[in-house]
Amino acid sequence: MSAPASPATLAPPTPPGESGAPVSAGAADLWRRARGPLAFLGGLVVLALLLSLGAQGNRTGPLEPEDPAPEGARALVQILDSHAGGDVTVARSAADAVEAAGPDTVLVVVGSHRLPADQLADLAQTPGDRVLVRPTTLALEALAPGVRVTGRVDGRVLAPECRLPAARAAGTADLGGELYAADGARACYPDPQGEGHGLVQVATDHGTATVLGTPEPLTNARLDREGNAALLLSLVGGRDVVWLRPEPVAEGGQADIWSLTAPSLRYSLIPLTAALLLLAFWQGRRLGPLVVERLPVVVRASETAEGRAGLYAARRARDRAGAALRSGTLRRLRPALGLAADSAPEAVVTAVAARSGDDPAGLRVLLYGAAPGGAADPYTADDHGLVRLGDDLDRLEGRLR
Amino acid sequence: MAVTGRAVLAGFAAVLVVLVAGSLGLWVAWAALGLLAAALLLDLLLAASPRAVRFERSGDTSVRLGETAHVALVLANPGRRRLRARVRDAWAPSAGAQPRSTTVSVPARGRLRLSTALTPRRRGDQFAAGVTVRSVGPLGLAARQCTHTVPWTVRALPPFHSRRHLPGKLSRLRELDGQHLALVRGQGSEFDSLREYVPGDDVRSIDWRATARRDGVVVRTWRPERDRRILIVLDTGRTSAGRVGDVPRLDHAMDAALLLAALAGRAGDRVDLLAYDRRVRAQVRSHGRGSRLPQLVQAMAPLEPELVESDPAGLVATILGGHSRTRQLVVLLTDLNAAALEEGLLPRLPALTARHLLMVAAVGDPRVTEMAAERGTARGIYSAAAAERTLGERHRVTAELRRHGVEVVDADPDHIAPALADAYIALKAQGRL
Repeated sequence: MSAPASPATLAPPTPPGESGAPVSAGAADLWRRARGPLAFLGGLVVLALLLSLGAQGNRTGPLEPEDPAPEGARALVQILDSHAGGDVTVARSAADAVEAAGPDTVLVVVGSHRLPADQLADLAQTPGDRVLVRPTTLALEALAPGVRVTGRVDGRVLAPECRLPAARAAGTADLGGELYAADGARACYPDPQGEGHGLVQVATDHGTATVLGTPEPLTNARLDREGNAALLLSLVGGRDVVWLRPEPVAEGGQADIWSLTAPSLRYSLIPLTAALLLLAFWQGRRLGPLVVERLPVVVRASETAEGRAGLYAARRARDRAGAALRSGTLRRLRPALGLAADSAPEAVVTAVAARSGDDPAGLRVLLYGAAPGGAADPYTADDHGLVRLGDDLDRLEGRLR
Repeated sequence: MAVTGRAVLAGFAAVLVVLVAGSLGLWVAWAALGLLAAALLLDLLLAASPRAVRFERSGDTSVRLGETAHVALVLANPGRRRLRARVRDAWAPSAGAQPRSTTVSVPARGRLRLSTALTPRRRGDQFAAGVTVRSVGPLGLAARQCTHTVPWTVRALPPFHSRRHLPGKLSRLRELDGQHLALVRGQGSEFDSLREYVPGDDVRSIDWRATARRDGVVVRTWRPERDRRILIVLDTGRTSAGRVGDVPRLDHAMDAALLLAALAGRAGDRVDLLAYDRRVRAQVRSHGRGSRLPQLVQAMAPLEPELVESDPAGLVATILGGHSRTRQLVVLLTDLNAAALEEGLLPRLPALTARHLLMVAAVGDPRVTEMAAERGTARGIYSAAAAERTLGERHRVTAELRRHGVEVVDADPDHIAPALADAYIALKAQGRL
């Protein structure tokens, strides 16, 4: 403690006259600083690529052969592909299907609403058996001529009641859906009301065409119920399968706004992007780093008094507030009256009454809040009383001054 | 690296070119982009290196708060190209540096002198944050940028507003000293000299022994004590952070302390300074006579209120353990905070007052007095009650301190410095130092 004050506090530090070490990062520094994050980002990209190689994006949708969801058909396709003795070729367009189909293949057509008439005509010429899953009227006419829709029964389990070997082997199946009828066809799974059959098989020029009124038996969700799986496997019978699920038809013939704009307008987007980037960089680049500063504490000295005032007001603490006001007045009056700080209330009231000529009882209520007969202090009954107390005390002080 | 507004304009010009000539093919867009990039790159390569620029600083190292200091910065361009650049000499915001940035053009191997005017808004040390040079290429499209550390410190000293009271207080001191025309006899208790009796002198001051040795009657003259020790203690604890009229209590206390120190220095007393909260923040000891004001000002400049409760026990121990074993006047500049003083200082007062004379000076808050006068509304009357309570506690602590023989000076910010000086002069007049 007896050490002399440090020179640093006595005199301002005398800075060196010349200096100028650059602190901005040079190119080497920038590279050193950036290579870590860059390597990390690169690693992430490589990892993402590797992961995406293994898993091609699953398509989804009803009876989609890659979709493991309840309405997909991945389970059936995998069974057909690996356990039923044949291979499954997934065709995404009619042309693919025509190419893949042969005399010994079974063409399964789902989502026939996406097939235009000309493609249906192409398909009608392909050899081999066909299985149509709830075809559109157009597809029905083209691929299973003679079959017509006669009714509809939803969500029912139907019994085969026919001589078709596949149906007999499978037994009951979830074939409640559209109902068909055809002349000279093998019809199974009749609806109890006699409106039609859930499965009909007709002979065409190139083989048989089997029409199912509902996709339910093929879905992942229902495949293990009833005889659904057996029905399909028996229909296919160990042959190769071409599973045709056409892609949505691209809208043709409608020009979008992009192709209608002039090429120069389109090309100008390239320099426009560059110009906007330059604009952002021009405005965003700071002239030197931000300067940090240690900020001082900003707190009003009167904060405790103001806080206490808020508490008094919030709790309506009139007794405490009144006591504080009275003690303030008494503190200022006592020296003028020649009284000590510990004078008794009676002495103070007597002295004040002698000087002001007021009624001692009223002064006692005003200065000490003790009403005659032990009644409650009239000044602290409500906020108006408190305001009146302040005014009365001020008046008293003014008269005694 | 930075680009200019001209580069942005060039970018939009390229857009126009592609709009007009785009029908020729996509290559037009890429060619425009390539040309733009090439121009930017060329400009970057041709710009003078901002990294090679050398700096020198000179100028003021301290300034009284509220006044302006000038710091010069000399740029030297050692390269072979002309340096056209924007230069920013960065300081903290409270330093009030002007101008914020300058556009310069320095010839090859040339030098240029820039001046930055600093008007600090806060007391304390202001550090130069760095000099940034943005060197623009000859085409005015792109710029290279580099920041250099060029250290410099400007210390903002306490403003010492109360120095306007100094002449008046000094003339009152001279009255005591008998140097003033208005002769006031009998002040002070220290023997000064013997002189011939002049009719009108108090017969009680005749020195009979000396008279016996001479023909005439000789009287003794007295003067106020000199070479007394005064220790000014600044409390830098949490209560000193509270702002009274947008200035911390500590700064008001410094103002008063500086006036007292200036006055005491002229009166021939020795002034020491101690800034303390839980440890010693600053300390100035006087050695020999003479004004210690510059040291005091320098010691006070970097002091900041600390957000800790002050430790009165440590403070008393530090004062008692100081090198001055003789009686001294201890002027404690703190807040009359009932809780802090009653628990901390009051129990330890006897140890201090037994050895030294203690004077407590506190800055009152005019805002509390304003609040105490509020009337008319419920909200106002509650404010008045709270303020009355604060004032009552302050009064109680003052009475308690006076009972212990402590001098208490309690005044609002405008009057604390002269009030403290008056209290000192009164003590000197009473010969109580």
